[in-house]
Amino acid sequence: MSGLAILMMVLIPGLIWGGFLYLLSRAIRSESSKREVGDAG
Amino acid sequence: MSDRFSSRWGLVLATLGMAVGTGNIWRFPRIVATNGGGSFLVAWVVFLILWSVPLMMVEFSFGKHTRSGTVGAFVRMAGKKFAWMGGWVALCATAIMFYYSVVAGWCLRYLAASATGGLAGADPAEVWTSFTSSYEPMVVHALALGLGVSVCWFGVRGIEGVAKVLIPTLFVLVVVLAIRAVTLPGAELGLEFLFKPDWSALSDVNIWLQALTQNAWDTGAGWGLILTYAIYMRAREDVPLNAFMIGFGNNSVSLLAGIMVLCTVFALDPGAASEIVGAGNEGLTFVWMPQLFAQMPAGGLFMTLFFLGLSFAALTSLISMIELATRVLIDAGFQRKQALLTIAGAGLIFGLPSARSLDFFHNQDWVWGVGLMLSGLFFAIAARRFGLEKLRREVINGEGADLEVGRWWTFLIAVVVPIEAVVLMVWWLWQARTWDPDWLNPLGVANVGTVLAQFALALTVLLLLNRWLARRVAGSGENAS
Repeated sequence: MSGLAILMMVLIPGLIWGGFLYLLSRAIRSESSKREVGDAG
Repeated sequence: MSDRFSSRWGLVLATLGMAVGTGNIWRFPRIVATNGGGSFLVAWVVFLILWSVPLMMVEFSFGKHTRSGTVGAFVRMAGKKFAWMGGWVALCATAIMFYYSVVAGWCLRYLAASATGGLAGADPAEVWTSFTSSYEPMVVHALALGLGVSVCWFGVRGIEGVAKVLIPTLFVLVVVLAIRAVTLPGAELGLEFLFKPDWSALSDVNIWLQALTQNAWDTGAGWGLILTYAIYMRAREDVPLNAFMIGFGNNSVSLLAGIMVLCTVFALDPGAASEIVGAGNEGLTFVWMPQLFAQMPAGGLFMTLFFLGLSFAALTSLISMIELATRVLIDAGFQRKQALLTIAGAGLIFGLPSARSLDFFHNQDWVWGVGLMLSGLFFAIAARRFGLEKLRREVINGEGADLEVGRWWTFLIAVVVPIEAVVLMVWWLWQARTWDPDWLNPLGVANVGTVLAQFALALTVLLLLNRWLARRVAGSGENAS
């Protein structure tokens, strides 16, 4: 495989899958902090 | 209103189920393979941000703010004169539902055949031809529609319950199949083909328009389906982070499907790769994939998993289309069960021509596929009528928002999305002139004339019925005046 193909294979899935996992982790953190606020209230 | 998703994850999974459909699995790999591989992927990521995510935010905010289906939402966001636009969005998604249940039926039929060994040793091309020319597509169309209706029968609880099982399973299936594909000897040829960029292709406007089209058709943005699920969002639910998450989640599945299909094709039959990716959605899925799986160790098992994933993707999308149509009728005064039976009856009857004739199926797929671009434009117009800054500040960045969306969104909806929608429609119709020498014939399968004729008929009826539509939905939603 060419170096360029390998670079793109890292960049595009990194952006799409990495982006999705990052957003998912932010949503999980947000939900758990909302739950803690709810529990405290 | 007690009819709400029980949690954020219920909403996210149901909306991902809506977005991830057969287009991710059977269209994306073909389009990326025939449009420059890695270069196409760059354009595809760009339009995820320039088309899909901003429109998803519009849809989430319309549903959350109005708690009404498409017609009621357009009336409340844009005014009574715009009921016809909401009607167009509903008509487009419902017309797609009529033939999409046929697609879901095909997937179920192939799932049953692969699980019972019915495809082993057979010539897939012959199996496909004899299947589509028999009465069986009508039976499986009714079965798929019945399954979708029975889920919606239980309202949002049914939709959420099914999504919570089917969508995580679908993700696991696609990952398993992608891992199997990349571990086949020769799979690196498929990866090279998928990711190697041809930078000169980026100067070709067709690549960009294909990438925009793929985003318009496979993320579900601008279809009215997200709006429909957003009706059932909890009051303090986030809009912007969810929109980004659905967009990236949907495209994650597309990328996995691209890897799965292209690595399988290049590992097992590299000589026929061009023919395979040029075989059309049904040709790739129902003729070539069974042939390729047959050459793979434990191919019967992987073929069953493939059609299981495809069936899950099709059914969860079909459910959202049924719910959209149902919700519009509920807003017009129907009880849920009465509305569902009406939609089931209409779906059964109007889906039959597509189940009987592939030409009719392709005609409807072509006409309403272009119609979706008009739906996206209508959402941008309605959001502008409401006030883009007001929508951004009060709803998108309102209570529960996990991200703050800046003025870039306002610019995209005010300027970029309308330009994209118009350019896309003109480009597709311009291309279609060359597909059929008799390009203005309204009875053609896939030409300009059939689009213009069906659009003119639908828009005339909707405009004539505008006042009646606006009156019928006047009492719907939480912010009804």
